[in-house]
This record gives sequence, structure tokens and C-alpha cells, in this order.
Amino acid sequence: MKRNALTNGRASDASERAFPRLMIAPTVLVMAALTAYPLVFTLIYSFTDYQYLKGTDAAKFVGFKNYVMLFNNTYFRQAVLNTVKFTLLAVILEMVIGLLIAVFIKSLKKGQKVMRTLLLLPYLLPTVTVALSWRMMLSANYGIVNQVLESLHLPVYNWFMDIKTAFGTVLLIDVWQNVPFVFLLLYASLQGVSTNQYEAAMIDGANVVQQFFYVTIPNIKSGIALCALLRTIDTFRLFEKVNILTGGGPAGTTSTITQFLYNYGIKNLKFGFGSCGAIVMTVLVLILSSFYIKRAIH
Amino acid sequence: MKKLLATILVLALALALCIPAFAEEPTKLTLILRGGTYGDVIKACLPAFEAEHNVTCEVLDLSFDELHSKIALNAPNAAGEYDLCMVDGSWMAEFTANNVLANLSELGYSFDDDIIPATTAICKVGDDIYLAPYFGNVTVMLYNKQLLADAGYAPEDVDTFAKLKDIAEKANAAGKKGFLIRGGSGDNIVSDFIPHLLVHGGWVIDENNQPTVNTPEFKAAFEDYIALYKLGGTLDKDDIVAAIDNGDAALGQGWPGWYVPTADSNASYFVIPTKLDDADTPKNTSMYGVWTIGVCENSQHKELAYELLKYLMDPDVLLSTVDLGGVPCRYSSLQNADVLAKFPHMAIVCSALETGVYRPVIEQWAEFTEILGQEMDTVIQGVKDMDKGLADAQSALEMLMM
Repeated sequence: MKRNALTNGRASDASERAFPRLMIAPTVLVMAALTAYPLVFTLIYSFTDYQYLKGTDAAKFVGFKNYVMLFNNTYFRQAVLNTVKFTLLAVILEMVIGLLIAVFIKSLKKGQKVMRTLLLLPYLLPTVTVALSWRMMLSANYGIVNQVLESLHLPVYNWFMDIKTAFGTVLLIDVWQNVPFVFLLLYASLQGVSTNQYEAAMIDGANVVQQFFYVTIPNIKSGIALCALLRTIDTFRLFEKVNILTGGGPAGTTSTITQFLYNYGIKNLKFGFGSCGAIVMTVLVLILSSFYIKRAIH
Repeated sequence: MKKLLATILVLALALALCIPAFAEEPTKLTLILRGGTYGDVIKACLPAFEAEHNVTCEVLDLSFDELHSKIALNAPNAAGEYDLCMVDGSWMAEFTANNVLANLSELGYSFDDDIIPATTAICKVGDDIYLAPYFGNVTVMLYNKQLLADAGYAPEDVDTFAKLKDIAEKANAAGKKGFLIRGGSGDNIVSDFIPHLLVHGGWVIDENNQPTVNTPEFKAAFEDYIALYKLGGTLDKDDIVAAIDNGDAALGQGWPGWYVPTADSNASYFVIPTKLDDADTPKNTSMYGVWTIGVCENSQHKELAYELLKYLMDPDVLLSTVDLGGVPCRYSSLQNADVLAKFPHMAIVCSALETGVYRPVIEQWAEFTEILGQEMDTVIQGVKDMDKGLADAQSALEMLMM
């Protein structure tokens, strides 16, 4: 009798444990199909000389040849350096400007909604539209920016074709478009900071700067970490703006990893080489964002 | 009587409802074309063909790279999505090696004498025709009429690169940009440089398809090219056209599809000079960028797509495209008296098309130009010196062609 009760209890425990697994199984399967499968195939292709027009049947295993070629490629090394430099600068600028705007808007007594909507506009525009609009405005020949500079007797530049200005110009456009995203996320985080803490800080004699560093920042640090992570991943994949505005030039000063992979892998349908670059890029993003991931988990 | 009328009415209605059901559904053809004037002139010709053949045509207008990718990505499918495609001459080797295009000779196509013979060179593999030359894109020199006159030249006088430099220097001295080159992709940089290389007697590959970019001819051509660049600058295509049209720049290499000059326009074209100086012997220096049309091998309506290709290549149909900015590769269009009266530059285009040179027919051309263009750009921008840049380009290209 006792044994029967024990057996029944164990069976019920097992079925209780199996039930949640059964429930999440469809999600796991979908995730595996959509994420793991392409990743595994990209990894496999990265060890082959797969050329799309020749087909998978003609693809041969080439070991680490693609990886050796990639790391020996000076254009790739330049693209990696550009991407890392661009990502660090863009994320820092976007985070600082976005945070300052969020704090400023939060402090407004009136007009928060209007300002919020207006500030979001650049982020709502498609990247291609943003790139084309800026290209027109910064045109060396008929762009409004150079015309204004000329009328003020200031020097004019060939913004996208000059080695001294191209990188900074693309960076500026990217920051302009993505600051609203940072602002929105941090503004949402700021809503969760209790006013009691500010009141207590004021009673203790903390000034505005001290309140910012000892109340605001500690309360929204997980929001900042998440935002920085998302921006790092997104900026690392920068492609459309560079492709439309500079094509990676002049002299490769604006080429990014994705631009390199497009020019030397995807455009030429060398999917084996392109896959190898994609794997290297994934690893680099993971390394660069591991700091934030750790921070977000803790 | 009423019953009879009612019966007739019902029968008439039933008949009217049945007729559309029996009518044949139009066949849908999908055309994948280069966006801009190149594709626009084809689109303008389609309604007549659609009506005649009970066809509806869907047209995809794409950028250069996108067009190449889409045609290639569609190629391995057994049932293709596209029927008629526009192809750049530089993709020919890659596409024919991988069975992307239908053999037009097998479908019954042949070239007539009206088509400028040199433009068909890229369209064949052996005796088999795979493409038809549709839009006569060939490098020409875009110039501002006023600045050329100010420099003391008439367009027909500019027959040497020395005179080209003289015009650029005079315009530069007058506070204008002398000569503009295109920046951006490697293909732009290499394509614009090739006429300068040709006039120096150089070429980018030898007879064994090995790169020849670190040669005395290449270096001399590149030095002259940089000297011209220093009298102007680098701009993108739209800015080059605008700068020359509004008188900010004197000269720039262009393609007929970029700009349609008329007798009253500020800018026009002349043939790229064929000699270095008066003592030099003439060479072919105009480079083709002819847009060709072909039928996709995996088209679901191959016969109909072939009919459309023949229709688009018809002399009268091609002549009708000139008013819309078309540049046919046919004598009957380019030497037509009415056309020449309205578009005098067509005579220039015609002679450039007769003597043009195609880019090398190698499968690796896209990557070749990417590498060479990037190295040339580093030299133009002063990041590397010329010897280092050309040596690096040569070794990278040798690796590619191994």
C-alpha cells in the first residue's frame, strides 16, 4: 500500500517536471530552427569554398583556408579597426547625449510629450532615407550645408570623399539617428526612479550633480547596460549608411566589417568566404558585448 | 412577347458573363532591369508588346549590385522568377560559365548589319549569342561648353590628353574645377581610369589573365591621372553632372545615360581623346559599359521572353527610345537625321561605340576591380605612395587570379 503510494507520488512528480518541458518544447524547436540551424550551417560553410552559382555540390572542404585568407587580408584588418573605433565612439556619444536629453526632458514641467515625440522622429525614419537626405544636404556641389558655410565665409568640405571628414561625417549621421533610441530607453528607466530618493538626497544637501551621480545613475544602471548592449550590437553591424554614403571609401577609411563582407563575399557570391567573415564578426560582437551582458545579468 | 424579350435578355446577360471566363488570361513576364534611364526606356516600349501578345509585364528596377545579385540568386532555381534580364558586359563570363543565360542562337536569334559590330563582341561565346546590346553606354568626356570655349578650344579640337590637361589647368586657374573623377566603389575608380591606361598602351591583365597593374605604362597613366585629379577633385555621379552643367567644373568622364544634352544645354560630350599628344598614334580609348539584354535560362516563358527581346531590339522600337534618353547600338538610330538634329551628341556616341573596348571578360572581374580600386584610391588620397600601392595591388590580384 505504502509502496503504491510512493510509486504514484514519484510518477506524479515526474509528470509535473515533464509538463513545463513539454510546454516550452515548441518554443525551443522554433528557436533551434531559426537560430541554431543557420548558425551551424554558416559555420560549416565557412570551412568550404562554396560559391553560390556553382552550387553546394561543387563546394569543397578547405579547412581553415578562408580564416587564414581573412586574417591576412589588409582590407579586413582595416575594416575591423574601423568598426571597433566607430562602435566605441558612436555608443559613447549616443549614450552620453541620449542620457542628458532623457534627464533634461524628465525635468521639464511642461511639454514632455511634445518633446518626446519630436525627439523620436530621426529614429522613425528608414536608414536609407536618412542616408539619402544627408547625402543631399552634404553634397559638395549643391548641398545646403556647404552653401550655408560658404555664405558665412567658412571653409567648405567634400564631406564624403575627403579622407579627413568622411569617417566623422558618417559617425555624426549615425549618432544623430540613434540618440532618440537611447533617449527613449533611458527615459523609460528614469520613470522608475522614486522621487523620495531625490527628496532624501536634497534633505542631505546633495546638489544637482551629486543627485545625478548618486541617485539617478545607480537606479538606471541596468537600463544603461542594456541600452549600451543593444547599441553596440546594432552599431557593429553598420552597413546601409556606409554603403550608400561612401561605399567604404575614401581609401577604405569608412569600410566596416559588414561592408567588407558584402564587397568581398556576398557581392561576388563567395558564400564560403562570406560565412567565415560572419562567424568572425559574431565572435567579435560577443567579445565586445560580453561586458554589458555580464552587467545586465548581474 | 414579354416572355420572348425576357428570355433574350437573360440569354444576352448569360453570354456577357460567360465571355470573360472563356477569354485567355494574359501571361505574366517578369523583367529585371537596371534602374534609371536604362530600364525606363524599356518600360516605355512595353504597352504595345503587352497588347499584341496578351502579356502583362512586371518590371523590377534595380541598382547595379542588386541587379547582379538578384539574377545570380535566381539562377540555380529550376523554375526561375525572371524572364528577361538586363546584364552588364562585365558579368558575361560569370553568367555564361554558370548557365545563367539562355542561348539566343538556339532560340533563332542573330545579329543584323545595322547593329554596331564592336558592341556585339561581349555578347557571344564562340558563335553562340547569349546577349543583345541594348543601351550603348560608352565612356565619353562630359564638358561645360562655356568653360571649354574660355579655355580656347572647340570640342572637335580636343583630340589629345595633353589638350585635356591644358583645359583643366586653365579652368583651375580661373577658380573652377578642372577635371572631376568618380569616387565610391572600386568599380567606379577603375572604370574611369581605364581610358587613361589605354592611351598609355597599358591594360589590366595579360593574355594569360594575369594582372599587369605594376607596369611602367600603368604607373605613367596613373601619374597623369592623379595630376588631372589635382586640378579638380572626387565627386559622386550626380554631383559631377551638376557641377559640369552649372559651370563649376570643366571636364569629367561620363556615360551617355547620365545626361541628355540638347543644342541649348550648358554641357555636352566629346569622344575621349585617342592620343597622348600630337606626336602619338591614335588608340581605342573609349570603354564600353553597354547594357545588354538576355533571356534567363530558367525562364518559365522562354519563347515569349525571346519574342520580347526581338521586339525591344527592333530598329523602329529602338529609334523611338531616343527621345526618352535611349542610346541604341544601331546605326539606323544614331545616324538618323532627325535624331542628330535634336541630339547632336549622338554622332559622338556612335563613333565612340564603333571603337570602344570592353572590360576584361574574367569571372573574377567584380573582385578584381574592388581590390584594384581600393589600392588606387589609397594612392589618390595620399595614404600610400604609388610604388607601394601598385605593388600591393599586383600581389593581391595575383592571389585572386591563382
